[in-house]
Amino acid sequence: MKVARIFAFARKETLEIIRDPITVWIALFMPLVILFLFGYALSFDVKDAPLIIVDHDKSAASRALSDQFLNTTYFRQVGAPDDERIAEHALMQGEARAVLSIPPGFGRRLRQGEAAPVEFLVDGTYASTAAIVSAYGRAIMYAFPRGTLQLPVQPEVRVWYNPQLRSRDFIVPGLFAVILMAFPPLLTALAVSREKELGTIAQIYASPLTKPEFIVGKLLPYAAIAFLQLVIVLAAGFLWFKVPMHGSLALLVALGLLYVLCTVSIGLLVSTLVRTQVAAMLVTLIVTLMPSFLFSGFIYPIFTMPPFFQGYSARIPTMYFVNISRGIVMRGTGLAELWINVVVLAVYTAVVLTLATLLLKKRIA
Amino acid sequence: MNAAPIIDAQGLGRRYGRRTVLRDVSIQVGPGEVFGVVGPDGAGKTTLLQILAAILRPSFGSCRVLGEDIRKHADRVQARVGYMSQGFSLYDRLTVAENIAFASAIRDVPKDAFAARKTELLAMAGLERFQDRREGALSGGMRKKLALCANLIHEPPLLILDEPSLGVDPLSRRELWRILDSARKEGRSIVFATSYMDEADASDRVLLLRDGQPLALGAPSELRSAARGHVYSVRTTNPEAAEAALQTSPRVLSFQRRSSEEVRVQFRSAGEPPDLGLHCRELKPVEPSMEDVFTVVSSQDAPIEAVQATPARGPRSEVLVAATHVTRQFGDFVAVDDVTVEVKAGEVLGLLGPNGAGKTTLIRILCGLLAPSGGQARIAGFDVARQSEQVRASIGYVSQKFSLFTDLTAQENLTFFGRAYGVPPSEMAARIAWACERAGVSTFELGLVRSLSSAIRQRLALACAILHRPRVLFLDEPTSGVDPLSRFRFWRLIAALASEGVAVIVSTHYLEEATYCDRLGLMMDGRMIALGTLQALKADLGLADARVEDVFLSFIARERVKADAA
Repeated sequence: MKVARIFAFARKETLEIIRDPITVWIALFMPLVILFLFGYALSFDVKDAPLIIVDHDKSAASRALSDQFLNTTYFRQVGAPDDERIAEHALMQGEARAVLSIPPGFGRRLRQGEAAPVEFLVDGTYASTAAIVSAYGRAIMYAFPRGTLQLPVQPEVRVWYNPQLRSRDFIVPGLFAVILMAFPPLLTALAVSREKELGTIAQIYASPLTKPEFIVGKLLPYAAIAFLQLVIVLAAGFLWFKVPMHGSLALLVALGLLYVLCTVSIGLLVSTLVRTQVAAMLVTLIVTLMPSFLFSGFIYPIFTMPPFFQGYSARIPTMYFVNISRGIVMRGTGLAELWINVVVLAVYTAVVLTLATLLLKKRIA
Repeated sequence: MNAAPIIDAQGLGRRYGRRTVLRDVSIQVGPGEVFGVVGPDGAGKTTLLQILAAILRPSFGSCRVLGEDIRKHADRVQARVGYMSQGFSLYDRLTVAENIAFASAIRDVPKDAFAARKTELLAMAGLERFQDRREGALSGGMRKKLALCANLIHEPPLLILDEPSLGVDPLSRRELWRILDSARKEGRSIVFATSYMDEADASDRVLLLRDGQPLALGAPSELRSAARGHVYSVRTTNPEAAEAALQTSPRVLSFQRRSSEEVRVQFRSAGEPPDLGLHCRELKPVEPSMEDVFTVVSSQDAPIEAVQATPARGPRSEVLVAATHVTRQFGDFVAVDDVTVEVKAGEVLGLLGPNGAGKTTLIRILCGLLAPSGGQARIAGFDVARQSEQVRASIGYVSQKFSLFTDLTAQENLTFFGRAYGVPPSEMAARIAWACERAGVSTFELGLVRSLSSAIRQRLALACAILHRPRVLFLDEPTSGVDPLSRFRFWRLIAALASEGVAVIVSTHYLEEATYCDRLGLMMDGRMIALGTLQALKADLGLADARVEDVFLSFIARERVKADAA
């Protein structure tokens, strides 16, 4: 490998990138667009869930319990009928997500120190939302003064790492991994296939530039752009979304650099296999973005997947950086716990780069 | 010359799947030799050149380039040759200087050698003033010259050039060859592909290829003398009658009208020409040109095709195309600049000019595909800007790329275009038969369009364009990349359509095709720099015997003088 040739190639690539407004736009703004889109839209927090309260008791105690529900940001009241059937109807129509039903004699029983049952009905159509709503309801009832509601056990649950269960604190570090898997490989694959489409690659074929020089020359500028993207999304995540950082920023940036080398290499590998920009785009999206959303633990935890898909997820590098990113940001983990992910990413990158170099043909056909 | 050959190829060939696109090529090219590979589109020229540059693996045969086996040591060959692919091979977002610097850096040219070499090459190409301009903003001719400079920067012993002058204006073409001449004087070998016969004629040796098969190999003078006795010139006062007579003779291979009193004929065999009757009395043998050679060797075993002779044409008075002061701007760029032109029914107007002269833009405006920024144009009485519906019903348009659906058969394409133009289903079969007969194409062409040759595609595209019996026909570079024989045939079809009263506007960058047009419009930088019959243009310049190319160059020179004076 001749450094002068690699440098010349990387320089030419850089000039081409900065002179194409579309590439610059995609490189700098699209990651932010995705970060903001998902950072805001994708949330598992339940806020203002529509609640119907059927109060048959109408005592001071029943009103106190109702207020306890409504004084949170989790619920808002959408009706107070006297009949359960009206409440059930509203639940069926989707106008309410939960019904709190307080039977007659609730206040009297409490005063007498007896068990005082209440009914809390939750719409289970959206399973994850339902689980959260019922957990909130339960938590409110635990906290009800004197703890006299009828509950057989009273466990004390504490949530570590994200005590408020703010889903944004969990989504944003995951998005770092997904976004850096989406754009860097796409830009890289497009750049190589564009040369193939325009025919400028013939000039490269008929030159002393070797295959490793070609790969490294393409890798460097696109890895630099990807690193810039990393910096942008991290800045937006910590400064705009105010995601609390529990670990070492330097470690996150260093491992992020390894990760973008890996994702850019995937783009290079794709580009050695396809001829056109359209094909490059489709293949890149299918091998990077799609599995990153589903099989990286970004949204759906991997440990709950069937074994086959757990194995599949292990083949997608996004998972390892999701582990790294969430580990550092949310738990403050260090290399001691994360090293296996780092090793896998490093080996992965080496294998992909070697494959790309071997599959690159310095020939038309 | 006993030096080791630069190229030594034995039985080279290439196959894609089951299709063999090149076979049996055995050539030797010596140091300093200029070797031309000549043939129509799809003949296998590009394939051969890519194999020689070691960027395409041959399926058959063996080959050594610069002493290296192209199979075993492709990398060594790639590193030493200069290879210029068809089209534009440089980076359009990089400037002239950056492109040259890049080409030199990846080829390990030492820094001090680079500076001197760059200055020399850019000066020779006339590009030194444009060093900071982006490659994409240069004219086609300048881009080609720059690509050539990029391939000469490392002083390669062998230059492989794929149709270097395709679509380049005549002036740039001369400059391109001046650079190549000096490269040859430095002892470099040049292998190039071309469809220009004059370039073939200027090489040391040529290889004629057709359908992937070598037809002839030798020095142009040898090939021409082999064709001697096959080629005659007919002086006549009635060319229509002469052509009618030629058509009936089985010994006639092909003929082309050169002017209103001369027809050139190629005979199947050498020797005493047959008696062709009254109108072909003045028959005298002439020195064959490379074009004649190509016609003679490539038709040796081809079946005789009934070629329709040029029908007589009478002048008609109805003006079907009337453009007045038409202008079109794209941002700061003026693509068409104040063009005024008229075409009458039955008239063929040829638009001549290099790529980027504005021919395509003008045609698109006249078709109603592009609104003019200024001026007015009427087609068959309809305004192109306001009555585009009626305009489109009156015109047929064949674009540069022959907009056919390559995944459909010929018949399916015809039916589709017929429906799109609103041909009633009851008339469809008759209309298709008529259009195919007029365009000289058989509907029985089997298979998908993508498997057809470009000459047949071209005629099929013509058939599709005339299905709705348009009164005006626009043909945008229909003959580009088609072999000479098919080109002559195509021009005869156009003449036949014109004789039925169709007004035809054709653009071409083959200047010799000007002789087929009634009137010529020479275009340059968006302007119509000359308009009239060839005779009138020659008279205007005071050049009676000049070739079309010289006429064009003189008008360009005159324009430059005007521009400098202004």
